[in-house]
Amino acid sequence: MDELTLLQAVRLKGRVRHGDIAATLDDDEAAVDSAVKELTEAGLLMEGKTLRLSPDGRARLTELLADERRGLDAEAFAKAYDEFRGVNREFKSLISQWQLRHGEPNDHGDADYDAAVLGRLDGVHQAVLPILASATLQLPRLDAYPAKLSAALEKVHAGDTTWLTRPIIDSYHTVWFELHEELIGAAGLTREDEAKAGHTE
Amino acid sequence: MNLACLRFMTRVTSDAARPDLGRDSVIPLDGSSRLPREALGNKGFGINFMRSLGLPVPPAFCLITDVCAMALAGDERVLDRVWPDVLEKLRWLESETSRTFGHGPRPLLLSVRSGAAQSMPGMLDTVLDLGIDDAVQQALGSHASPEFAADTRSRFRAMYQRIVLGDDSSADVPDDPLVQLRGAIEAVFASWNSPRAAAYRAHHGLDGTGGTAVVVQAMVFGNLHRDSGTGVLLSRNPATGADEPLGEWLPGAQGEDVVSGTFDCLPLDALRTEQPRVFNELMAAAKELERLGRDVLDIEFSVEEGRLWLLQTRVAKRSPQAAVRLALKFRACGLIDDAEALRRVTPEHVRALLSPSLQPETRLAATLLATGLPASPGVTSGTAYTDVDAALDAADEDQDVILVRISTSPDDVAGMLAARAIVTEVGGATSHAAVVSREIGRPAVVGCGAGVAAALDGRSITVDGGAGEVFDGVLELTAWSERDTPDLAALAAIARRVLGDVCETPLMAMLTAFRLAERSDVG
Repeated sequence: MDELTLLQAVRLKGRVRHGDIAATLDDDEAAVDSAVKELTEAGLLMEGKTLRLSPDGRARLTELLADERRGLDAEAFAKAYDEFRGVNREFKSLISQWQLRHGEPNDHGDADYDAAVLGRLDGVHQAVLPILASATLQLPRLDAYPAKLSAALEKVHAGDTTWLTRPIIDSYHTVWFELHEELIGAAGLTREDEAKAGHTE
Repeated sequence: MNLACLRFMTRVTSDAARPDLGRDSVIPLDGSSRLPREALGNKGFGINFMRSLGLPVPPAFCLITDVCAMALAGDERVLDRVWPDVLEKLRWLESETSRTFGHGPRPLLLSVRSGAAQSMPGMLDTVLDLGIDDAVQQALGSHASPEFAADTRSRFRAMYQRIVLGDDSSADVPDDPLVQLRGAIEAVFASWNSPRAAAYRAHHGLDGTGGTAVVVQAMVFGNLHRDSGTGVLLSRNPATGADEPLGEWLPGAQGEDVVSGTFDCLPLDALRTEQPRVFNELMAAAKELERLGRDVLDIEFSVEEGRLWLLQTRVAKRSPQAAVRLALKFRACGLIDDAEALRRVTPEHVRALLSPSLQPETRLAATLLATGLPASPGVTSGTAYTDVDAALDAADEDQDVILVRISTSPDDVAGMLAARAIVTEVGGATSHAAVVSREIGRPAVVGCGAGVAAALDGRSITVDGGAGEVFDGVLELTAWSERDTPDLAALAAIARRVLGDVCETPLMAMLTAFRLAERSDVG
């Protein structure tokens, strides 16, 4: 369990329960526990009801991410991120049609409508996988994401649509958003810049 | 098969059977036309109606909906056939306005608008200031001022480029005024089949063969220097239903400036002070139109060098509260009957009134601190926190917390869950804040603009996620009741009278039953 992976996982979750961190990292609970213990003793993580970064931990993570970024082929990564923006627009539109219908909350009473919206998720998934593959060539750490997205997609297909948008759990939207956050950071941008430029709309 | 559909089929199946589209398809809207709304379109019908009352509406003519329907059905030469008639009506506009199209000394400029029998999104709306080339700009310059002429020309070019040419950078805005006119008319026809318009019709079960009318109207200039401007008048308050006209006035500006929201408008009282005679004329016209239209109206007007012109009127949108009060008021003065009063209040209006909400009076009295996009509905109050950790701590101590962030990301979700509502500075309807707020059922207003987080931090605020507004302080939510709110009780009494013996039925059910009964009468 390397330091960067663990710190970044905690940062993306904000506040996270111990059991959930091992689950989201898809790693052995004992191994994660000992890594958490080590980083807590080093003053990088703070333990309470939940686990979160200390200010030192945040600074350390920023440093590690900057080091990681220096090893990237910036141009190739920017290209992958630009392609992601296109799929991201489609995903966002799908999510808002799932949640809203004619400006009102979708009451999910129209199975045909819901099925049509969900049908588009497969297209999004197929489109994002190759983009993710080329981003992973630059940033191997991202190889965890295809499996996490696929796991959420399978649950949605099995009929449990809470795995599409629910926060806290690793729903498709949660994983997608964390992935987007990784890509923004690795491209040397910030979410505020991206939001102002309209790429997170 | 309905009549429109049959007519449509006869037109396309036989060339010989095509009706002669001559004189009768280009109609002067001088108040004399007896054609129905289906032929003249909404706007054309309204202009003709106002002119028949002698109201000051800029002269206009219209190409009826059939012309568009034929063009869309594949008749490529229909516009060629009616063109001589368009030119003839253009001469008529020139004589009505004592101006000339395409040259000076007093050039006539035109607006071109679409007008289906029912308005719909996605249709080309308006092109203003048509008919301007170098010579016309010169003439306008010496008649008014060079600045005015240059401003008008650049407005025209920008609008034509955006609306008619669809921002196609390879296409040039034509110089010839007649080519400008024809291009705009063709663009209106084409917009009938734009994806948005087609989707709207499909969703509302509307026939796609009707086509749209095209209204060609003489321009009046609110952007001349002296005693000119443009504005919007609502004949009564559409939020409360109170009998007080409301509106906005923007001196020295043209119609689209008010609607665009990019300029700071003055209240209508400013017009009363500046030009009392025009103000009184406007009020009298509004009263007359309201009496004849039997409803509250939304009127767009311009003033050109001290002369009032009414540009457009339509029935005003209203809050549920106003819908009930206005139905009762119009019924009380005998303008509408019991059945019409019930038609004007929908079951959805009543549903909204019966659930706790911010009443219009409370809203109007409150101080608005921020506005943004309504991302997730609901109204709630609390203390604004911009720091997630501080928000979580406060929520742990049972405080009502509103999370206010520049934008949100996954590490804010814990804070969002602890908050009662979410406000952001940046972000649209599908931003993370919007998606998550809807998912966890928190009211949210997003994209309120830079500096809002700092301005709200620590304040006690009320967030209206359905309206996209943030108010100062904790505002009280109240609901109407059928028993205790006199207006609702009065409406229920009317419903009972119309429907007969239904003593204990709730109002919402009565309104639904009334609608079903009316529908089966018609069908």
